[in-house]
Amino acid sequence: MSQGHTSERAVDVDALVAEVKGRVRDKRARGVYGPDVDAALLRPLPGGPLASDQLEDALTSLSGAIDQEVAYDPRSRKGGLAGVPITFARRAVIWLIRWYLFEITSRQNHINALALRALRDLDARLPTEVLSRIAALENAKRVVDARENAQYLDYSRFAQRFGGLEGQVRRQAEQFMPYFAGRRRVLDVGSGRGTFLTLAQEVGVGAYGVDLSPQLVEQSRAQGLEVYQIDAEEHLRSLPDASLDGIFAVHFAEHVIPGHLFEILHECKRVLVPGSHCIMATPNPRTLTVGAHTFWLDPTHRKPLPPDAFQFYLQMSGFEPVTIQTYNASEQHLSEEGLDGIALANLRLLNETLFGDRDYAVIGMKP
Amino acid sequence: MRPRAIHQFHPALAAGDAVSNHVFALRELFRSWGYPSEAYAVEAKPAVKAEVLPYRRLFREASAEDLLILHFSIGSDVFDKLTNLPARQTLVYHNVTPSAYFEGVNPHAALHTRKGRAQLHALAKRVPFAIGVSGFNRRELVSAGFARTAVVPILIDWSRYDVVPDERVLARWRGPHTNILFVGRISPNKRQDELVRMLAYTRACVDRSARLFLVGAHEDQPQYRARVSALAAELGLADAVIFTGSVSESELAAYYGVASVFVSLSEHEGFAMPVLEAFRFRVPVIALDAGAVGETAGGAALLLGEKDIPLFGEMVGLLRERPALRERLVAAGERRLNDFSAANVAERTRAALELELSVAA
Repeated sequence: MSQGHTSERAVDVDALVAEVKGRVRDKRARGVYGPDVDAALLRPLPGGPLASDQLEDALTSLSGAIDQEVAYDPRSRKGGLAGVPITFARRAVIWLIRWYLFEITSRQNHINALALRALRDLDARLPTEVLSRIAALENAKRVVDARENAQYLDYSRFAQRFGGLEGQVRRQAEQFMPYFAGRRRVLDVGSGRGTFLTLAQEVGVGAYGVDLSPQLVEQSRAQGLEVYQIDAEEHLRSLPDASLDGIFAVHFAEHVIPGHLFEILHECKRVLVPGSHCIMATPNPRTLTVGAHTFWLDPTHRKPLPPDAFQFYLQMSGFEPVTIQTYNASEQHLSEEGLDGIALANLRLLNETLFGDRDYAVIGMKP
Repeated sequence: MRPRAIHQFHPALAAGDAVSNHVFALRELFRSWGYPSEAYAVEAKPAVKAEVLPYRRLFREASAEDLLILHFSIGSDVFDKLTNLPARQTLVYHNVTPSAYFEGVNPHAALHTRKGRAQLHALAKRVPFAIGVSGFNRRELVSAGFARTAVVPILIDWSRYDVVPDERVLARWRGPHTNILFVGRISPNKRQDELVRMLAYTRACVDRSARLFLVGAHEDQPQYRARVSALAAELGLADAVIFTGSVSESELAAYYGVASVFVSLSEHEGFAMPVLEAFRFRVPVIALDAGAVGETAGGAALLLGEKDIPLFGEMVGLLRERPALRERLVAAGERRLNDFSAANVAERTRAALELELSVAA
């Protein structure tokens, strides 16, 4: 209706409400607003509460309503003699049909009692049975999650045994530094021991990291690095558009399922400034000793990401161009000594397939 | 093609109630546009009997070239009969109080409101166009199934309020007391019982002298009226709660004249005419934001979203202490009245009925 004509509020109602709330609190504290006033405010309407109020707590009100007597006054409200025959006729009709009415009311009473009982049973049963089933489901989900994330594995001992050597990791990180030269706000997703961040600091690249491990975050901060303990995706979602000029994520993608990875890549694209790079490195399953063996050493790895598939994911997320760079050559390979011709070619192919580079990175630019 | 005449129907027409006033004001408007226009009813109260025609005459007189406006606030079998008439029809919805307010209190009212709501759904299939007197009412029309709807507020004959306030009422109640006023039929949906509880708080915590004036007819709700009185008596407020019953226009003006503040705890209002009356008589309004109250007040009242009774009592005190705050609200109320001026509402009525007035039946 005429809303909008006087749309501006005449007074700041919120401020006034806050003020009167303060007054009520104050009067409570001073005892001015005491139990006697409470009693007055809660005083029920004589003759029983209104049906509209009873709807607020229907089950409690129902038992009271069932027991209520039906009050009907057959006396006519017409004054004088005119009312007398009306009153008489009403009384007579009620008397005549009293047994019929009794049959109906007694059956209705029976139905009411059954309905009330059934509702109470439902009310009592719902919380216990349904809630215990929900609790069982939640518990089962927790167990599955714990197993999928290998929660009971001592990950630091695992990393000691199977993780790469610090120097090696550093050399690997170095090869990507040119992509971040001169950048001021590069995010290292899963910054771990802070290898990349230290390197960035040395070459004058502004970088910070996020990691879920409180120990690693603590350790990195002790080295003077800017690291936050927060979920990477949550952090990315919190960032404004075009607020980073580089993203680096080593051995992160294989810890999330591909469907989730798309969402994260979409966020990466959003938060980067045009011309900056998103670099993600992961084990290279194209090398069979990785795809069939070392990838599966870590129980928290979800699925191997074939390089061409990962490249496609970045392209679908809007990065262009997207290149693949393999690295971390296998230490072993079959000797090619004394071979030539077709035999050499076959062996090379075999070497490449079994003992190719163990990692690769996809390098995408935000256009 | 222009209709030949614009007639209106409401089951009951009386002097002083909001629907009847609206019907008579519209009749004058239609006549001023050059249409023959009459008001028809099943029951006309003595005060208006001379100017209301019995509805049966519609069956003889209404033709396909007429526009018939059905005002709906309560169910009646007559609506079903009238929709069979050849005249074009438009429904004006004044709202039907949900029957839950009357169950166990007033079986008669519960029955009629329940029938009224059911009938509204049935009419949605037979009446092509319906007007709500508030956005709140229009939403109910839409959910009842009306295809084409509009909002046009009540047309108010403001000259009715230009009366000399009743001297007896003024003399009796004028004074330094905090006079809390509510105007409206005594009815469970208007929650006069909650106003009595609010008075209990106000007298205990804000101002011992506070009094509550409940201005409005109570003949239709004797049971609820008795229970509200009993509540006041139990709380020791029998002398502080004044039930005036129906009042004349000059008495109404006098009650607004002595009021410190208008307070509404009503839970269901289709329009809330008394809020505008309070604006007209320069009385500040504190109200529960329920039904159409908020949209009618349009920012010129102190609207509270939850029914926290002590807050209402403290607001009353705050308004008494701060003349400047009171004046700001009163000034905003007066500005708000412009939106409901006869000229504005007449124009909105014309715009809403444009199609009905131009297209052949």
